[in-house]
Amino acid sequence: MSGVVGEPVLAIALRTLAVSGAALALAVAIGVPLGLALGHRRFPGRGLLVATVNAGMGLPPVVVGLLVALALWRSGPLGTLGWMYTPQAMVIAQVLIALPLVVGITLAAVGALPADFHLQVRALGVRGPRAAWLLVRETRRGLLAAVIAALGGILSEVGAVTMVGGNLEGETRVLTSGILMYTQMGRFETALALAAVLLGLTFVLAAALTAVQQASRR
Amino acid sequence: MTSDAVLAARELLVRPGARAGGFTLRVPDLALRRGEVLAILGPNGAGKTTLLRALAGLIAPSAGAIEVRAPHGVALVFQHPLLLAGNVAWNAEVPLWGRGIARRKRQERARAALARFGIAALAERDATTLSGGEARRLALARAFVVAPDVLLLDEPFDDLDAAGREALVQDLAGAIRETEIAVAIVTHDLRQALLLADRIAVLDAGALAQLGARDEVLRRPASAEVAALVGMANWLPGRVRSRDAAGLALVELAPAATLRVATACAAGTDVWVGIRPEHVKIDVDHSDPNTLGPASVETRVSDGALVVAWIDWHALRLRTHLLAGRGLGQTLKAGDGVFIAVRPEDVHVLPRDPR
Repeated sequence: MSGVVGEPVLAIALRTLAVSGAALALAVAIGVPLGLALGHRRFPGRGLLVATVNAGMGLPPVVVGLLVALALWRSGPLGTLGWMYTPQAMVIAQVLIALPLVVGITLAAVGALPADFHLQVRALGVRGPRAAWLLVRETRRGLLAAVIAALGGILSEVGAVTMVGGNLEGETRVLTSGILMYTQMGRFETALALAAVLLGLTFVLAAALTAVQQASRR
Repeated sequence: MTSDAVLAARELLVRPGARAGGFTLRVPDLALRRGEVLAILGPNGAGKTTLLRALAGLIAPSAGAIEVRAPHGVALVFQHPLLLAGNVAWNAEVPLWGRGIARRKRQERARAALARFGIAALAERDATTLSGGEARRLALARAFVVAPDVLLLDEPFDDLDAAGREALVQDLAGAIRETEIAVAIVTHDLRQALLLADRIAVLDAGALAQLGARDEVLRRPASAEVAALVGMANWLPGRVRSRDAAGLALVELAPAATLRVATACAAGTDVWVGIRPEHVKIDVDHSDPNTLGPASVETRVSDGALVVAWIDWHALRLRTHLLAGRGLGQTLKAGDGVFIAVRPEDVHVLPRDPR
């Protein structure tokens, strides 16, 4: 051993959860209302917006990383924040990666409702927040699919978080960037340990969400 | 509004969506009255659903007004009712939930509404597993759960078989009688309209073609289009030849084919002559004073309940209906020579506008 012990796996796993959790929460908080609104409002330019969202679902994460880096760079438009190489930068990148997924899948879930859904809900005398709740209730399986897809997208992502986070030990190292680094260093045991944790985490979270989704069937 | 009207359209003008190809609905005056069923009849695309949605306040009119005197609200059952995820009971409760009514009260009233339409036993079933007839019953129970003053139904019996339709009509008639609700039923099918209707409104191409008591509309359609919709199958061009002292006119339909009718039209007027099939009588012993003379049976078909026969009378084809299974309904066959009779008061005469 060269004496390089490195950060404990648990700390990296917890940081990963915190960063990706925050990104997921933000992406869902912004993306679901956006998708619901986009799904049932008709306005000029809607088609273009929907096409943009769908294209965004395939947005290469490295490109997102580049754009966020450009924005947060000292001389960039958001340079004064001093967020480059911080967890905040990683959250921003992950939100941008997850948002099109959340909006796109939410949109599809709303599109699967009957065309006169809103009219019928109104005819039943359900208005305002209750009507919104009914909409969420009727699309909940699709919404959970959006959350699962977003979670998978951001947990597995390495390019953007490395570019804007910098993989700094004790600060911005997450499971994926750690795996990348330890593999390049030839420390396969540590890389494998991180990979096992990442896979376990992904599986447990996806399984939990799937259980919720299936339970909501009736 | 008159005292018994709970919902009325006044000088209503609706243009549903600019994309709908410039379709315009015009209804000068239409009122729904307590305890009365109005059937709104018309071909596809006539504007029936648009009218119903405007009456329910779901579409804002471009001009005119909908006057509402319904403290308990207006319920609209769509042609394809929305069933929400969850069980039957929850679906029936939704309108009460939307009005912020407490859970216990909701459950109680939903149970009563489901029982009214005979599906209380299905309360715990997943609503998406219901048959077409059960789903219809759930939609009606859900409409009645708020005890509305007005019930608007869009093609309520459309996808039911004959037995299911009959059973549902009975339950619905009972519910209407007990609650004294004002009802409008939209349908393209005359027989469905007649099941419950006290009055009939006929819509054609976005315009109110006729509005009147059920028998008035059936016997005195205001136009050829209405006549076709309300089943006045014998609709023939003719001309008023002369008038007699009793106030009856002689109308010629074809050479040697003349009818005595009650009409105010002057001699020489071109007219439409309409006779309902059930008013063309086969005069077995040639004793009817309103006889039209000899004729012959051209074709005869029967669905087991009704016999439909086409009679050749001076090269004109007249349609008549008989009850199947007894008397003439059993014995009449194609090729038979018969005498036919029509009472002057059963002949509807309408001036034929010059082209």
